[in-house]
Amino acid sequence: MATKTNIGGWLRGTTVRKGGSNSNPRSTAGTPVVQSTSTTIFGGGVKDPSGRVSEFSVHRLFTLGPAPCPICQKTLRKLAFTPQTFEDLQVEKEVAIRRRIAKEFNKRREDFPDLRSYNDYLEEVEDITFNLINGTEIERTEERIAELRRASAQLTSANAARELEYAASLQAAEEAEKLARQQRALQAQKEEEEEREERERERMKVIELLERSEMSEEQVKKEVERWRREREKKRLAEQRRQQQAAKTLRNRAAAQSQMLPDTPHVPLQDDYYAWQDKYTMLPTYIDPSHGAVMQDREGIMRAGGYRIEEAWERAIRSAVAGLDVMPIDDEEDQWNGTLGEGVTVEGAGNVVAASA
Amino acid sequence: MPVPTEVASSVTPEPEPPRKRQRTLYEASTQYKNWRFSKQQLSSIRTSLNEAAVAAIRDTFEADSPGSSSDVSFLNADEERLLVKFYASKIPQLCGACGFPEEVEATAVSYLKRFYLKNTVMDWHPKNVMLTALFLATKTANQPIPIDAYVSRIPKTSPSDILDLEFLVAQSLGFEFTVWHPHRALWGVWLDIQSLPDHPKEDIEEVYKTAKTHVRASRLTDAELIYTPSQIALAAFSLASPNLASLWAHSKDSSNVLQVIEPLKQMILQDSHPPDVEAVRDVDRRLKLCKNPEKVIGSKAYLARKAQEEKTAAEKRAKKAEEIRKAMEENDPFGEHIADEKKLDEAVNEALEDDD
Repeated sequence: MATKTNIGGWLRGTTVRKGGSNSNPRSTAGTPVVQSTSTTIFGGGVKDPSGRVSEFSVHRLFTLGPAPCPICQKTLRKLAFTPQTFEDLQVEKEVAIRRRIAKEFNKRREDFPDLRSYNDYLEEVEDITFNLINGTEIERTEERIAELRRASAQLTSANAARELEYAASLQAAEEAEKLARQQRALQAQKEEEEEREERERERMKVIELLERSEMSEEQVKKEVERWRREREKKRLAEQRRQQQAAKTLRNRAAAQSQMLPDTPHVPLQDDYYAWQDKYTMLPTYIDPSHGAVMQDREGIMRAGGYRIEEAWERAIRSAVAGLDVMPIDDEEDQWNGTLGEGVTVEGAGNVVAASA
Repeated sequence: MPVPTEVASSVTPEPEPPRKRQRTLYEASTQYKNWRFSKQQLSSIRTSLNEAAVAAIRDTFEADSPGSSSDVSFLNADEERLLVKFYASKIPQLCGACGFPEEVEATAVSYLKRFYLKNTVMDWHPKNVMLTALFLATKTANQPIPIDAYVSRIPKTSPSDILDLEFLVAQSLGFEFTVWHPHRALWGVWLDIQSLPDHPKEDIEEVYKTAKTHVRASRLTDAELIYTPSQIALAAFSLASPNLASLWAHSKDSSNVLQVIEPLKQMILQDSHPPDVEAVRDVDRRLKLCKNPEKVIGSKAYLARKAQEEKTAAEKRAKKAEEIRKAMEENDPFGEHIADEKKLDEAVNEALEDDD
């Protein structure tokens, strides 16, 4: 990667080429050339935007102590070199500055009486950051930083402490969950093992009883049954106890959380008259038009739950449906039907004859 | 559609007679609520519809070429009815050819009749409407067939003929697709007669068959728009065997219905013959001349109407775009709000500076 001027190119690392040797006369054939990957390129405290330095070079140059930068004569230390995470050095620089600023200026919305002052504070901070990044008015900016720091030293430290706490609590919660999971796994395992043991014990008992051969097979069976029942009872008791414990825990939690009352669901209840009193169903009818259905009751005609009785009932219901609905009579008032005896006029003006 | 409230082995021990103010299932149906008229109402609806249509079409003719409408003889309500009846009589033949059950046929006839209570023949020719009504009926009666299969059975039709009208038909029906039919009620009457204590066991089948033909004939009349399906079924049965019918009606405590259905019986006997083909041909010839040109695709009036609609739609769009443009350019896109705040700010600063 050739640059316009290659002065100090060995420092900048611009003469490092993949697989090639340094054009730097100082480097001997023995010095290994580092492949430039992102993990090895270091952004240093150099002003030059392309100021990348390889790790090896840094090590070589600064092991013996701080040395002056050949361009700006500023003393650099090995410690000052940090690994680069972003491709663009500008971005890296900005990120570093912002990290530093964020550590110092960490006030939150709650620390201010109103939104306006909070926004002013934010603007101030951003101003400072901008100046630092672009290197304008550095002295004044540093002064401002010192001033602000002095003004709110306590608040800053309090905020810092709070953030630490929050991070710690998150971690604690995670650990607790992990623990709980482990516990549950252990529990399951234990139960499994217990079951296995029990079965073993049962078998042993059966064998024992048979060996003793004082009892007949019947009696052995009964013994085993009794024994099994006892264990069942014990197990159930244990379970119930656990459930109770869980329930009391839940109740306590529920009481604390104040759940809203659950209103019971009232289903839609329509109240239609379906002429049930007008007919009685016979168990079977003579129905030649549906001969095939009646013969094949349980076969293909039963598909979908079809039952001929339901079809009959529906037909008979149609036969009595609306039998007493009088047609609209033009001679009388338009919405009144003819009135028979003991009838009630319904909303639409049509009559359902009550049982005469 | 009557919902089977309970299966034959019902839970309620004793079916009760209706309480006052309790509605019946039939009264909850749209057929009862919206498609029930008196004879007088029917004729007035038809004449008023016809007159309105004639006036509208006359205007369209006049707009096109003044003076042309004076020698066009428009159809009157009776002729429209004749045409509808003729096409309604074609539906059973079509159903037989395609193999649709009676339910589909009855539903299609109902749809056709109801459609022409809301529209006029001069706007929409019954031929296509009949096919559309039948197609819709196959769907709503749960016997759907694909449009291509349907169209292949009918000569000289294309899917678009039918599908274009489908929404119109549905809309004219008010999207009320459930129709209660008399043939199921008739079946119910026949079944229920078997539960009468002293019913004659012979010949019931013959009676049933005759009654069925009467029900089919009744489809060409206005019966279903005036009477309930159970009444029509009883009338048909009564035409076939008056004794049995009265016996059954007595057992249902509805002997007053027998008087109600007398005019219905007359109607079935007189009105239910398919119209004379010659007369229909005549009407059809005249219809060709007095058709509403707006509905004929490709005619001048149709295109003019389309252009009109386009214009109104374009105007609306332009207006909306204008509104948006105004909001963006002339006013602050974020609203007047912040601009005001700035002024407030300045005022505050001024006040503070003046403070002494």
